[in-house]
Amino acid sequence: MIPLAHYLILSGILFSIGLAGVLIRKNIIVVFMCLEMMLTAANVALVAFSRAQGTAGVPVYDAQVLSLFITGIAAAEVAIGLALIVAMFRARRSVESTALNTLKD
Amino acid sequence: MNIVSTYTWCQFAPAFALVGLAALLILADALLPRLPKRIYACTGAVGTFVAAYYLYTGSPSNFLGCIAAIATGLSLLLAFDYKKISCESIAGAGNEEGTGEFYALPLVACAGILCLTQARDLVMLFVSLEVVTLTSYVLAGYFRRNQGSIEAGIKYLVLGALSTGILVYGTAWYFGMVGSFNIGPEIVLSALKGGVAGTPQLAVGFMLATALLFAGALFKVGAAPMHVWIPDVYQGAPTPTTAFLAVASKTAGFIVLCALALPFAPFCAPGSIIGKIIVWSFAIIAAATLIIGNLGALRQTNLKRLLGYSSIAQAGFIVVFFLNINPLMVNLVGQYLLAYALATLAAFYAIAMIRIQRGSEEIAAFRGLGKSNPRTAFLITVCFASLAGVPLTMGFMVKMYSFVAAITAIGNWCGICWLLPIMVITAATGFYYYFKIIRAMYWEKAQPGEKALQVPVCTGIVLTLCALALIYLGTMPLLLIMS
Repeated sequence: MIPLAHYLILSGILFSIGLAGVLIRKNIIVVFMCLEMMLTAANVALVAFSRAQGTAGVPVYDAQVLSLFITGIAAAEVAIGLALIVAMFRARRSVESTALNTLKD
Repeated sequence: MNIVSTYTWCQFAPAFALVGLAALLILADALLPRLPKRIYACTGAVGTFVAAYYLYTGSPSNFLGCIAAIATGLSLLLAFDYKKISCESIAGAGNEEGTGEFYALPLVACAGILCLTQARDLVMLFVSLEVVTLTSYVLAGYFRRNQGSIEAGIKYLVLGALSTGILVYGTAWYFGMVGSFNIGPEIVLSALKGGVAGTPQLAVGFMLATALLFAGALFKVGAAPMHVWIPDVYQGAPTPTTAFLAVASKTAGFIVLCALALPFAPFCAPGSIIGKIIVWSFAIIAAATLIIGNLGALRQTNLKRLLGYSSIAQAGFIVVFFLNINPLMVNLVGQYLLAYALATLAAFYAIAMIRIQRGSEEIAAFRGLGKSNPRTAFLITVCFASLAGVPLTMGFMVKMYSFVAAITAIGNWCGICWLLPIMVITAATGFYYYFKIIRAMYWEKAQPGEKALQVPVCTGIVLTLCALALIYLGTMPLLLIMS
């Protein structure tokens, strides 16, 4: 059986890659993928914790329910995000974050 | 298996009613394309005002939810006045096609905020917060023919989703350490002692989870260092949406922050290590927010952007209340938010009026208003004076509460005494940039050919009511003392 720590390390790595990608990458579609990765990291941690907190092999289902909610919300977020990216591409012919330069101090 | 719910259906009645109304409006938009869209704005506004009345008279009265509902209603009425620009920026001048959802979506967001006020666990908190943010993303990027609006939408979405990711990761760790999603003092106490097994690692993991949760909540509020989205999004988003974000969405952020902070109330007695960590963190965040908000606002010429920085600065004064975590704090936060909401909403009505008739959102576009529209200019002056904190307005009263809260906290924790001078200096800075608008109205002359503004009906009524309320609530304590 794989110990809890391994799942948590995996989830930590996913979260860090996601966070680094959001901060470093310029292509907004890649940024979106990284944001999804951060949510996935939370899902992995939740499912692992739901097993670990359970007794006699029965997991605590609360955490798994939240992970379903997160999946749903992530889907809604992507739908809105892609719509905005299409609108942006129509307006500027680019999906790079450097093209977002209308609003600044 | 028995499922015990901690919630009753009654608690969510106003939220369900608003979602139902929004669904009806969206259906009407699809089935009755000939219906003028302005009817939607009015129906929605009436719906939110009824909900606000229900929340205010209900027991216990839901004050923060009430502010959010009124703010949503007023931003819908603002959308009513703003129709000309909305049509130009969505489907082309004079064409109302595709503008229906712009009036229906704020109702859904408002329902999310009302659920948020009832949340007693992190799942409810997270899902209702996402209802608010997801609809705000759509609203911020709604003007698809406007470069600024799309840019604001994308920036808000990327940074908002980042904060969601952090909040959710914090929630996962909270569950892992505690074994439940409930937030209450006894759970915090048990976790800080290392749980049933008494392992110190557990307390460390719990503090990490709490820090991530607070970071997610502070993003919504716009506290430093999570404030970067505010100026851009406020400037780019459609003005009715900006009004909604500035007031209703900020209220949502403070509801979350209160819900997360209150379980820590028993640990904030002087002398405890946990209390020290919490008080120092809030003091540093408040100071950074005040400094960044006020310094940023000094050099702005665009009024919407200035109000973005002003909202950061005002959030700094509200964060100061979190130095003394106790159940009374929520009331003070609510009062400050009310003063901020009245003045800010009135300011956005003024911006929308200027934008429609003079085609600009710059401060300079207010020139000569003191001559041509003396009454309107006076009402706008009252609102900005209240934001600055001039005595006899409500803004002064609430800023004084904030100073009292800081002094009380310094009495308990001498180490944070540097906060007081920062608050004094930043409050004084506020006078400079809020009075720029007043100076433009009274001291600068209108350019030749500029006519007096036609004040739309809604704008006139709302400006008058907000200004009167600010003066009444600001002088009422004095009247009580004298009688």
